[in-house]
Amino acid sequence: MGWKEAAEPVLTRMPAVRRPEGHVPFKRKLAWTAGILILYFFLTNINLLGLNQAEATDLFGQFRAILAGEMGSILQVGIGPIVTASIVLQLLGGANLLGLDTDDPRDQVLYQGLQKLLVVVMTALTALPMVFAGGFLPAQPTLTLGGVTFGESGVQALMFTQIFIGGILILYMDEVVSKWGVGSGIGLFIIAGVSQRLVAGFLSLSEEGFFFSWYQILFTDDVQIGSLVGGDGLYQLIISEGQILALFTTVLIFAIVVYAESVRVEIPLSHARVKGARGRFPVKLIYASVLPMILVRALQANIQFLGQIVNSQTTMPSWLGVYADGQPVSGFFYYTAPIYSPDDWMWWTGLTQEPWMIMIRIGVDLTFMVIGGAIFAIFWVETTNMGPESTAQQIQNSGMQIPGFRQNVGVVEKVMERYIPQVTVIGGALVGLLAVMANMLGTIGAVTGTGLLLAVSITYKLYEEIAEEQMMEMHPMMREMFGKE
Amino acid sequence: MDKGQNTGGLMSSAGLVRYFDSEDDRAIRIDPKTVIATGVLMGVLVQLLTFVS
Repeated sequence: MGWKEAAEPVLTRMPAVRRPEGHVPFKRKLAWTAGILILYFFLTNINLLGLNQAEATDLFGQFRAILAGEMGSILQVGIGPIVTASIVLQLLGGANLLGLDTDDPRDQVLYQGLQKLLVVVMTALTALPMVFAGGFLPAQPTLTLGGVTFGESGVQALMFTQIFIGGILILYMDEVVSKWGVGSGIGLFIIAGVSQRLVAGFLSLSEEGFFFSWYQILFTDDVQIGSLVGGDGLYQLIISEGQILALFTTVLIFAIVVYAESVRVEIPLSHARVKGARGRFPVKLIYASVLPMILVRALQANIQFLGQIVNSQTTMPSWLGVYADGQPVSGFFYYTAPIYSPDDWMWWTGLTQEPWMIMIRIGVDLTFMVIGGAIFAIFWVETTNMGPESTAQQIQNSGMQIPGFRQNVGVVEKVMERYIPQVTVIGGALVGLLAVMANMLGTIGAVTGTGLLLAVSITYKLYEEIAEEQMMEMHPMMREMFGKE
Repeated sequence: MDKGQNTGGLMSSAGLVRYFDSEDDRAIRIDPKTVIATGVLMGVLVQLLTFVS
């Protein structure tokens, strides 16, 4: 247990947002949430000082949809560092290497501190290569501020500082929403980013805009549709310009997530003392929620970042990666790149790769997402106290029991063990499969399957939470029942 | 919603970053308004400097 004592002075002193004293009225909570959201949008519109915007490329690439933030703005890193830090913590915590007991107040403080410290480190590690390596964010050669002229390295340092502060701001904005608002800041930023893309995907007045491109197809000669009989026209309407398939996938994912949220195994409960007080404990199909998915995707993203950075520095051996136009076209980094859109795998449309190469890539992506989804879901359930042991304890503490069984934590835990692990694994794998399928078929606004899954399920959770809040506002008694002050 | 059960409370509060009730007395406390003010100031400052440069 050596590291705990050694790190304690640092970890316990990490600055934290003050907790509200007592109950925060629902309207006040909404106001905090809205305030942070407005600040988020404001900051995504502030361009980095000293950046040569025209030549900048996004290191996040296709992952931008789920990692939030905005390329070239102060919020360049988005929630990337938080997600990466969370992966590290999940893996360490899930494998029980930390030796932290999250029921012990002192360990809770350490956990919180460690989490924050990791995010700070990850922010620096994400921002460093963006600014200093590979020219993803090229700096202006000179910059004059109030008579002082900065050289290129000075401007780079300035940009790094801005990105770093932006990353830290995201962390604290999340904390404000978590403690004073509704839901979590990260959830909010993901929804904000995905919704923005989705709306743009429908309404944008360019070729990406769904309505605009149909306007072009139907009323102008800008888009020539080939013969419907020959197949070219059908392909254009369904997959490329027409985006019918993308629309279909987007709506389908919405429907599946909302439906899957309601699929659950309900364990009946009755109160030990109060007769007639009955309840149910729902074990939802996507029990561990879709959040672990972001961790799997972020793992893939980090592999791709590594490829991008190495590629920008040196030439790699061809088995490791061959890049064309900044995208991997063969080698290890090609096979580990997730499928983003139909263009990535429909080999009959004239891709440079052989069909077998594409098959391997799809296989790797599927395996990664399905198995990774299941593994991270298990870790997630364990580290967030949703496992059989913790839920049994919660049920016991609320004075409930399962009718027909003895009122005993161990007995409840046994029953929970019959459902929770199985449901978690099936749910995690299913969500992984859905995400890959959605990406293969394409989505409106290129929000990606994971982005869409995340946005819909976070919104659903938010809705549940708001409903709960409102109920507690109306019946203050409920607050005690829900165990909040 | 079921009576007194954790249908959403505990689960939905589990974001990627977890916050517990217990806090150390030595930790530096930040007011939420300070976070918002810092964010706004940062944005305005960078934008102003961009205009100036």
